[in-house]
Amino acid sequence: MNGQAQPALVQLRETPAFAVLTLDGYKWLLPQAEIQSLESILDIDREVRVPHSVGAVAFTDQWWPVYCLSGELQILPHLPDSRRVCPLLDNSADRFGLVCDSVETLAEAPRLLALPACMVLPDSPIQALVLLNDGLGCVTTTERLAALLAAVVENDDG
Amino acid sequence: MAESTAWVLALDGQLLAAVGEREMVHVIETPILLDVPCSPPYCRQVLVWNNTVLPAMDLAAWLREQPAQRQQTLAGVFAYQAWPGADPEYGALLLAGIPAQTPVTDDQACALPKQPDRWRTLAISCFKQGDRPIPILDLPHIFTGGLL
Repeated sequence: MNGQAQPALVQLRETPAFAVLTLDGYKWLLPQAEIQSLESILDIDREVRVPHSVGAVAFTDQWWPVYCLSGELQILPHLPDSRRVCPLLDNSADRFGLVCDSVETLAEAPRLLALPACMVLPDSPIQALVLLNDGLGCVTTTERLAALLAAVVENDDG
Repeated sequence: MAESTAWVLALDGQLLAAVGEREMVHVIETPILLDVPCSPPYCRQVLVWNNTVLPAMDLAAWLREQPAQRQQTLAGVFAYQAWPGADPEYGALLLAGIPAQTPVTDDQACALPKQPDRWRTLAISCFKQGDRPIPILDLPHIFTGGLL
Protein backbone atom coordinates (compact mmCIF):
# COMPACT_ATOMS: atom_id res chain seq x y z
CA MET A 1 0.00 0.00 0.00
CA ASN A 2 2.99 2.32 -0.05
CA GLY A 3 2.32 3.33 -3.60
CA GLN A 4 -1.48 3.43 -3.88
CA ALA A 5 -3.51 6.16 -2.26
CA GLN A 6 -6.80 5.31 -0.60
CA PRO A 7 -9.84 7.44 -1.57
CA ALA A 8 -9.87 9.21 1.81
CA LEU A 9 -6.23 10.14 1.35
CA VAL A 10 -6.87 11.50 -2.13
CA GLN A 11 -9.62 13.69 -0.69
CA LEU A 12 -7.45 14.86 2.19
CA ARG A 13 -4.72 15.88 -0.23
CA GLU A 14 -7.07 18.60 -1.46
CA THR A 15 -7.17 20.16 2.00
CA PRO A 16 -5.53 23.56 1.64
CA ALA A 17 -4.29 24.01 5.20
CA PHE A 18 -3.69 21.93 8.29
CA ALA A 19 -3.31 22.75 11.95
CA VAL A 20 -0.90 20.83 14.16
CA LEU A 21 -2.29 19.85 17.54
CA THR A 22 0.34 18.61 19.99
CA LEU A 23 -0.73 16.01 22.55
CA ASP A 24 1.96 14.65 24.87
CA GLY A 25 4.57 15.33 22.21
CA TYR A 26 2.66 13.57 19.43
CA LYS A 27 1.64 15.83 16.58
CA TRP A 28 -1.84 15.38 15.17
CA LEU A 29 -2.85 17.28 12.04
CA LEU A 30 -6.43 18.33 11.37
CA PRO A 31 -7.83 20.35 8.51
CA GLN A 32 -7.51 23.98 9.52
CA ALA A 33 -11.09 24.61 8.42
CA GLU A 34 -12.35 22.29 11.15
CA ILE A 35 -10.99 24.52 13.89
CA GLN A 36 -13.75 26.93 14.74
CA SER A 37 -12.03 28.76 17.57
CA LEU A 38 -9.13 28.62 19.98
CA GLU A 39 -10.07 28.94 23.63
CA SER A 40 -8.02 29.09 26.77
CA ILE A 41 -8.33 26.20 29.18
CA LEU A 42 -9.34 28.86 31.71
CA ASP A 43 -12.58 29.16 29.76
CA ILE A 44 -13.52 25.55 30.42
CA ASP A 45 -16.38 25.22 32.87
CA ARG A 46 -15.56 21.99 34.67
CA GLU A 47 -19.03 21.74 36.16
CA VAL A 48 -20.71 21.29 32.79
CA ARG A 49 -20.00 17.72 31.78
CA VAL A 50 -21.11 14.96 29.49
CA PRO A 51 -19.69 11.42 29.87
CA HIS A 52 -15.88 11.39 29.52
CA SER A 53 -15.60 15.14 29.05
CA VAL A 54 -13.51 17.34 31.30
CA GLY A 55 -15.96 20.22 31.08
CA ALA A 56 -17.46 22.48 28.44
CA VAL A 57 -16.86 25.82 26.78
CA ALA A 58 -19.62 28.30 26.03
CA PHE A 59 -19.29 29.46 22.43
CA THR A 60 -21.88 30.87 20.03
CA ASP A 61 -24.62 30.44 22.63
CA GLN A 62 -23.91 26.73 23.00
CA TRP A 63 -22.00 24.48 25.35
CA TRP A 64 -19.26 22.63 23.52
CA PRO A 65 -18.15 19.53 25.43
CA VAL A 66 -14.40 19.43 25.96
CA TYR A 67 -12.38 16.23 25.95
CA CYS A 68 -8.84 15.44 26.97
CA LEU A 69 -7.01 12.79 24.93
CA SER A 70 -3.53 11.39 25.39
CA GLY A 71 -1.02 11.41 22.56
CA GLU A 72 -2.28 7.90 21.76
CA LEU A 73 -5.84 9.27 21.71
CA GLN A 74 -6.89 7.54 24.89
CA ILE A 75 -9.48 9.49 26.86
CA LEU A 76 -8.01 11.07 29.98
CA PRO A 77 -10.27 11.95 32.89
CA HIS A 78 -8.19 14.94 33.92
CA LEU A 79 -6.09 17.72 32.38
CA PRO A 80 -2.32 17.14 32.41
CA ASP A 81 -0.30 20.22 33.34
CA SER A 82 1.06 20.46 29.80
CA ARG A 83 -2.33 21.36 28.32
CA ARG A 84 -2.61 25.04 27.49
CA VAL A 85 -5.15 25.58 24.76
CA CYS A 86 -8.53 24.28 23.68
CA PRO A 87 -9.37 24.32 19.98
CA LEU A 88 -13.06 23.94 19.24
CA LEU A 89 -13.54 21.47 16.41
CA ASP A 90 -16.51 21.65 14.09
CA ASN A 91 -17.17 19.72 10.90
CA SER A 92 -20.87 20.62 10.77
CA ALA A 93 -21.84 17.22 12.15
CA ASP A 94 -19.66 17.07 15.26
CA ARG A 95 -18.72 19.86 17.63
CA PHE A 96 -16.43 19.54 20.61
CA GLY A 97 -13.32 20.93 22.21
CA LEU A 98 -10.01 19.12 22.60
CA VAL A 99 -7.44 20.35 25.10
CA CYS A 100 -3.94 20.40 23.62
CA ASP A 101 -0.40 21.28 24.62
CA SER A 102 -0.18 23.64 21.64
CA VAL A 103 -1.81 24.40 18.31
CA GLU A 104 0.04 25.72 15.28
CA THR A 105 -0.81 26.31 11.67
CA LEU A 106 1.39 24.84 8.97
CA ALA A 107 2.63 27.51 6.60
CA GLU A 108 2.34 25.21 3.60
CA ALA A 109 0.14 22.26 2.74
CA PRO A 110 2.18 19.18 3.70
CA ARG A 111 2.84 16.15 1.54
CA LEU A 112 0.51 13.45 2.82
CA LEU A 113 1.89 9.92 2.92
CA ALA A 114 -0.23 6.80 3.24
CA LEU A 115 -0.09 4.97 6.55
CA PRO A 116 1.56 1.63 5.68
CA ALA A 117 -1.02 -1.15 5.41
CA CYS A 118 0.65 -3.23 8.12
CA MET A 119 0.15 -0.37 10.60
CA VAL A 120 -3.56 0.20 10.03
CA LEU A 121 -5.38 -1.04 13.10
CA PRO A 122 -9.17 -1.42 12.91
CA ASP A 123 -10.79 2.00 13.39
CA SER A 124 -7.40 3.68 13.21
CA PRO A 125 -7.79 7.46 13.54
CA ILE A 126 -4.73 8.00 11.34
CA GLN A 127 -5.58 8.85 7.77
CA ALA A 128 -2.12 9.85 6.64
CA LEU A 129 1.37 10.61 7.85
CA VAL A 130 3.33 13.80 7.29
CA LEU A 131 7.05 14.45 7.62
CA LEU A 132 7.44 17.68 9.58
CA ASN A 133 10.64 19.62 10.21
CA ASP A 134 10.68 18.37 13.79
CA GLY A 135 9.36 14.85 13.40
CA LEU A 136 6.32 12.98 12.25
CA GLY A 137 2.71 14.13 12.16
CA CYS A 138 -0.42 12.01 11.97
CA VAL A 139 -3.36 13.31 9.99
CA THR A 140 -6.84 12.78 11.33
CA THR A 141 -10.18 14.56 11.14
CA THR A 142 -12.85 15.78 13.50
CA GLU A 143 -15.06 12.99 12.16
CA ARG A 144 -12.50 10.34 13.15
CA LEU A 145 -12.02 11.85 16.59
CA ALA A 146 -15.79 12.04 17.09
CA ALA A 147 -16.10 8.38 16.09
CA LEU A 148 -13.40 7.47 18.58
CA LEU A 149 -15.19 9.36 21.36
CA ALA A 150 -18.53 7.83 20.40
CA ALA A 151 -17.03 4.34 20.51
CA VAL A 152 -15.82 4.90 24.06
CA VAL A 153 -19.24 6.11 25.17
CA GLU A 154 -20.89 3.19 23.38
CA ASN A 155 -18.61 0.69 25.09
CA ASP A 156 -19.55 2.19 28.43
CA ASP A 157 -23.23 1.86 27.62
CA GLY A 158 -22.77 -1.70 26.35
CA MET B 1 20.05 -29.26 -8.04
CA ALA B 2 18.87 -25.64 -7.97
CA GLU B 3 20.97 -23.31 -5.86
CA SER B 4 20.00 -19.81 -4.87
CA THR B 5 21.26 -17.22 -2.43
CA ALA B 6 19.51 -16.01 0.69
CA TRP B 7 20.15 -13.29 3.24
CA VAL B 8 20.09 -14.56 6.81
CA LEU B 9 18.67 -11.98 9.19
CA ALA B 10 19.09 -11.77 12.95
CA LEU B 11 15.69 -10.60 14.21
CA ASP B 12 17.02 -10.45 17.76
CA GLY B 13 19.82 -12.17 19.67
CA GLN B 14 18.39 -15.62 18.93
CA LEU B 15 15.79 -15.61 16.18
CA LEU B 16 17.03 -15.99 12.60
CA ALA B 17 15.05 -15.70 9.38
CA ALA B 18 15.88 -15.43 5.71
CA VAL B 19 14.79 -13.59 2.60
CA GLY B 20 15.73 -13.99 -1.03
CA GLU B 21 18.86 -12.34 -2.36
CA ARG B 22 16.95 -9.69 -4.29
CA GLU B 23 14.46 -8.91 -1.55
CA MET B 24 16.89 -6.99 0.64
CA VAL B 25 17.85 -3.66 -0.89
CA HIS B 26 19.50 -1.68 1.89
CA VAL B 27 20.83 -1.91 5.44
CA ILE B 28 20.90 1.11 7.75
CA GLU B 29 23.18 0.74 10.75
CA THR B 30 21.85 3.69 12.73
CA PRO B 31 18.28 4.13 11.56
CA ILE B 32 16.25 7.17 12.54
CA LEU B 33 12.92 5.75 13.61
CA LEU B 34 9.86 7.88 14.27
CA ASP B 35 7.09 6.79 16.63
CA VAL B 36 3.58 6.37 15.27
CA PRO B 37 0.79 6.42 17.85
CA CYS B 38 -2.21 4.11 17.56
CA SER B 39 -0.19 1.46 15.73
CA PRO B 40 0.43 -2.25 16.41
CA PRO B 41 2.92 -2.99 19.22
CA TYR B 42 5.24 -4.80 16.82
CA CYS B 43 5.19 -1.96 14.27
CA ARG B 44 5.25 1.24 16.29
CA GLN B 45 7.73 3.16 14.17
CA VAL B 46 8.46 4.25 10.65
CA LEU B 47 11.76 4.71 8.91
CA VAL B 48 12.32 7.72 6.68
CA TRP B 49 13.80 6.42 3.45
CA ASN B 50 14.02 8.00 0.01
CA ASN B 51 11.69 10.84 0.99
CA THR B 52 8.93 8.56 2.18
CA VAL B 53 8.16 6.52 5.25
CA LEU B 54 8.45 2.76 5.58
CA PRO B 55 6.91 0.63 8.31
CA ALA B 56 9.64 -0.59 10.68
CA MET B 57 8.45 -4.05 11.62
CA ASP B 58 9.81 -5.77 14.71
CA LEU B 59 9.20 -9.42 13.86
CA ALA B 60 10.94 -10.65 16.99
CA ALA B 61 8.41 -8.72 19.06
CA TRP B 62 5.56 -10.19 17.03
CA LEU B 63 6.92 -13.72 17.28
CA ARG B 64 7.53 -13.51 21.02
CA GLU B 65 4.50 -11.31 21.76
CA GLN B 66 6.70 -9.05 23.85
CA PRO B 67 9.27 -6.31 23.22
CA ALA B 68 12.43 -7.60 21.58
CA GLN B 69 15.85 -7.42 23.21
CA ARG B 70 18.74 -6.31 21.00
CA GLN B 71 22.19 -4.97 21.81
CA GLN B 72 21.99 -2.84 18.70
CA THR B 73 19.18 -2.17 16.28
CA LEU B 74 19.72 -1.96 12.57
CA ALA B 75 17.09 -1.61 9.90
CA GLY B 76 16.95 -3.58 6.68
CA VAL B 77 14.92 -2.24 3.77
CA PHE B 78 13.14 -4.92 1.78
CA ALA B 79 11.30 -4.92 -1.52
CA TYR B 80 8.17 -6.94 -2.12
CA GLN B 81 5.30 -7.19 -4.56
CA ALA B 82 1.83 -7.10 -3.02
CA TRP B 83 0.70 -9.40 -5.82
CA PRO B 84 2.43 -10.89 -8.88
CA GLY B 85 3.04 -8.16 -11.43
CA ALA B 86 2.52 -5.31 -8.96
CA ASP B 87 5.03 -2.49 -8.67
CA PRO B 88 7.66 -3.09 -6.00
CA GLU B 89 6.91 -1.69 -2.58
CA TYR B 90 9.19 -1.39 0.40
CA GLY B 91 9.18 -2.07 4.10
CA ALA B 92 11.76 -2.23 6.87
CA LEU B 93 12.59 -4.91 9.41
CA LEU B 94 14.40 -4.23 12.65
CA LEU B 95 17.52 -6.38 12.91
CA ALA B 96 20.09 -7.21 15.56
CA GLY B 97 23.08 -7.51 13.23
CA ILE B 98 24.42 -7.22 9.71
CA PRO B 99 22.70 -9.79 7.43
CA ALA B 100 24.84 -12.56 5.99
CA GLN B 101 24.53 -14.17 2.57
CA THR B 102 24.30 -17.92 2.27
CA PRO B 103 23.79 -20.36 -0.61
CA VAL B 104 20.67 -22.51 -0.35
CA THR B 105 19.85 -25.72 -2.21
CA ASP B 106 16.61 -27.70 -2.41
CA ASP B 107 17.94 -30.49 -0.22
CA GLN B 108 18.23 -28.08 2.70
CA ALA B 109 14.42 -27.79 2.95
CA CYS B 110 13.12 -28.62 6.40
CA ALA B 111 10.18 -28.09 8.73
CA LEU B 112 9.58 -24.79 10.50
CA PRO B 113 10.81 -24.46 14.06
CA LYS B 114 8.14 -25.46 16.56
CA GLN B 115 8.83 -22.41 18.71
CA PRO B 116 7.79 -19.71 18.59
CA ASP B 117 4.60 -21.21 17.16
CA ARG B 118 3.83 -18.03 15.19
CA TRP B 119 6.47 -18.86 12.58
CA ARG B 120 3.87 -20.56 10.40
CA THR B 121 2.14 -17.21 9.86
CA LEU B 122 5.33 -15.45 8.82
CA ALA B 123 7.15 -18.03 6.77
CA ILE B 124 6.62 -19.55 3.37
CA SER B 125 9.30 -22.17 3.72
CA CYS B 126 12.34 -23.14 5.73
CA PHE B 127 15.85 -24.45 5.15
CA LYS B 128 18.42 -25.97 7.42
CA GLN B 129 21.79 -24.30 7.93
CA GLY B 130 23.89 -26.77 9.87
CA ASP B 131 21.46 -28.00 12.51
CA ARG B 132 19.50 -24.80 12.58
CA PRO B 133 16.20 -24.26 10.72
CA ILE B 134 15.99 -20.82 9.08
CA PRO B 135 12.43 -19.77 8.14
CA ILE B 136 12.03 -17.85 4.89
CA LEU B 137 9.86 -14.78 5.36
CA ASP B 138 6.67 -14.10 3.45
CA LEU B 139 7.31 -10.39 2.96
CA PRO B 140 4.11 -9.54 1.01
CA HIS B 141 2.03 -11.13 3.79
CA ILE B 142 3.98 -9.31 6.47
CA PHE B 143 3.87 -5.86 4.90
CA THR B 144 0.34 -5.88 3.50
CA GLY B 145 -1.31 -6.36 6.87
CA GLY B 146 -1.23 -10.13 7.27
CA LEU B 147 -0.16 -9.86 10.91
CA LEU B 148 -2.99 -7.51 11.95
